[in-house]
Amino acid sequence: MTNSFTNCLSAEWIKKRRSFSSWLVVVGACFIPLILTIMFLVYPKQILDLHHSGQFWRILQLRSWETMSIILLPMGIVLAVSLITQIEFKNNMWKQLHTAPVPFSSIYFSKLVLILLMLAQLFVLFNIATYVSVWIPALLNRDVPFPLYAINGTDVLKENGAYFIASLPLISLQFAISLQFKNFLVPIGAGLVLVVGGIIAHSWKYVYMLPPAYTALHFGEASGSTKHTDHNLTLWALGYFVVFVIIGYLLYVNRKEKG
Amino acid sequence: MYCVHTTALSHRFSASQQVLKEIELAVPTGSIYGFLGPNGAGKTTTLRLLLGLIKKQQGEILLFDQPLHLHRLQLLRQTGSMIEVPSLYGHLTAKENLLIWQKLYQCPKPHIAEALQIVGLADTGNKRVRQFSLGMKQRLSIATAILHQPALLILDEPTNGLDPYGIIEMRDLLKTLNTQHGITIVISSHLLAEIEKLVTHTGIISAGRIVFQGTLNELVSRQQSESQMILQTANNTEAAQIVKTFVSDVVINAQHISMPLLSKEKIAALHRALVQHKIDVYEMNAIKKELETIFMELINQTKHD
Ligand SMILES: Nc1ncnc2c1ncn2[C@@H]1O[C@H](COP(=O)(O)OP(=O)(O)OP(=O)(O)O)[C@@H](O)[C@H]1O
Ligand SMILES: [Mg+2]
Repeated sequence: MTNSFTNCLSAEWIKKRRSFSSWLVVVGACFIPLILTIMFLVYPKQILDLHHSGQFWRILQLRSWETMSIILLPMGIVLAVSLITQIEFKNNMWKQLHTAPVPFSSIYFSKLVLILLMLAQLFVLFNIATYVSVWIPALLNRDVPFPLYAINGTDVLKENGAYFIASLPLISLQFAISLQFKNFLVPIGAGLVLVVGGIIAHSWKYVYMLPPAYTALHFGEASGSTKHTDHNLTLWALGYFVVFVIIGYLLYVNRKEKG
Repeated sequence: MYCVHTTALSHRFSASQQVLKEIELAVPTGSIYGFLGPNGAGKTTTLRLLLGLIKKQQGEILLFDQPLHLHRLQLLRQTGSMIEVPSLYGHLTAKENLLIWQKLYQCPKPHIAEALQIVGLADTGNKRVRQFSLGMKQRLSIATAILHQPALLILDEPTNGLDPYGIIEMRDLLKTLNTQHGITIVISSHLLAEIEKLVTHTGIISAGRIVFQGTLNELVSRQQSESQMILQTANNTEAAQIVKTFVSDVVINAQHISMPLLSKEKIAALHRALVQHKIDVYEMNAIKKELETIFMELINQTKHD
C-alpha cells in the first residue's frame, strides 16, 4: 500500500508538469506581493508607515494575508483542485488509470496529497514573495529603509499553519465534488457558490460552521477585527476535513463506472 | 487453456435495456482474437468489464484462469489495454506519458525507449502529445499498453482513424507482438475485412449476444458450406438426375439447377459425367459467399429475433 502510494504520488507529480494548476500556484503566490510592491513604489508613505509602526513584519503579514485569506485563497483552491481532477477527465484518462495495478485508495490519496503539497508550495512562495515585496522598494527608493527587523519565525510558521489547516475543509470538499463530475463547470460552479456563500455569511453567528469561510475567519481572529474565538476553528476544520475525505473516498470507490 | 474466459456474463446499464446477454467469451492463450460486431453491439462494454472498469453484475470473468474480482491488481499487472479513444496526457510529451505508467507498473526505465521504438515514436522529442496526429496518438496508446510487457493485450478498435497504411502497420505490429513475444491479443472491430488477415480466432457479437465463436477456419468452412453452385444445361431434368448422384441437396428451377458448392474434384467428375451423357452445358458457376456476407447474416439473424 505505501509502496503503491509513493508510485502514484510520483506519477501525479509528473502529471502536474506544465499543467495549468501548477502555474496557478506561482501566479497565486506572487499576485498580492506584486501589488504590494507596486503600491509601496508608488506610495512610499505606505511602507514608511509600516516602518514606523514598530511591528513591521506582523502588520505586513496581516496586509498580505487579508485579500488572500478572504477571496484569493478560497477561489484558488476551488480552481486548482478542479483543474487537478480535470486532467483525468479531459484526457479520458480514468479508464487507463483504473486499469493500472494500483489500489483505488492509492490513486485517491496520492491526488489529495499532491494538492496539499501544492498548497504548501503556494504558502512557501507566498511568504518569500511577501518578503521580497518590501525589499524591492528599499532597493529602488533611497528614502525607504531596509527592513532589517528580526523575523519571529515561530509566529510566521504558526500563522501559515493556521491558514493551512483552515484551508483543509474546502480542499477536501472541493476534491470530493470535482471527482464526481466530468463537466468542469459543475465543480467550479459549486465551489464558487460555496466561497461566495462563505463571504456573504461572514457576520452570521453560525459562520463558524461554514468551511469555505475558515481562512477569512482566521484572518479576522488574527487581525482582531472579528471575534469568533469561543469556537475552536482548528478543531472544526480538522473534523470537517476528516469527514469530507471519507465521504469523498466512499463516493469515489463506489462509482459504478470507473472509466 | 484460455487466457480470457467469461461465462454467462450479462450486463445492463438501466432496467429497460439489457446490453449483454450471457456472453461466453473463450480466448485461447497465444491467440489473436477478433471481437467483431456492429455499432452498439456491446464490444466496448464487454472489454470494460474484462478490465474491471464497470462493476460486474452477473456471470464470471476469468483472466489467466483466475477470477478478476478476487485478483484484480495481480491480473491487471499482466494486462495492457486501450479502450476506445486514446487516453493520453495532452500537456506532456510522449516520454513523460510513458514515465507515468513506468512508475505505476514499476517496470524498468529502459522499457520506455523500447516501447517508443517499437511503435515508431522514438524521435518526437519535446513535442506535446496534444499536437500529435491521431495516428501518432493511437501508436502512443499502444506503447502505453505494451510498456510493462503484458501477457494479454486488450484493444478496442485500435485502428480507428488510421489510414490504410497505418492499419497495415498496426496489423504487422500486433502480429509481431503475438508471434515474437507470445502476447495474447483481443482486438475489437466493426469490420471483418479489417482484421481477417490478422486474427486466429473470432467471436461475433450482435445485440449483446455471441452469435459465432471459433477459429477463423471454422468461419471459412461455414462460408464454404453456405456457398452455392449453379448449373444450366440443354436438358436440366436429365442433368439433375446426374447431379443427384453427386449431391442430394439439389433444387431445379425454370432456368437452372442449384446445389451446394462442390469440391474441385467433384466438379470435374460432374462435368465429365454430363459430357458422357451428351448434355450440353451452358453455364456452371460457383456463387461464393463473401466472408463479410456470412458475418452480416449472422448479425442480421439476431437483429430480427
Ligand atoms: N455508460 C453507459 N450508459 C448507458 N448505456 C450505455 C453505456 N455505455 C454503453 N451503453 C449502451 O450499451 C450498448 C452497447 O454499447 P457498446 O459501447 O458496448 O457498443 P460497441 O459494440 O462498443 O459499439 P461501437 O462499435 O459503436 O463502439 C449501446 O446500446 C449503448 O447505448
Ligand atoms: Mg465500442
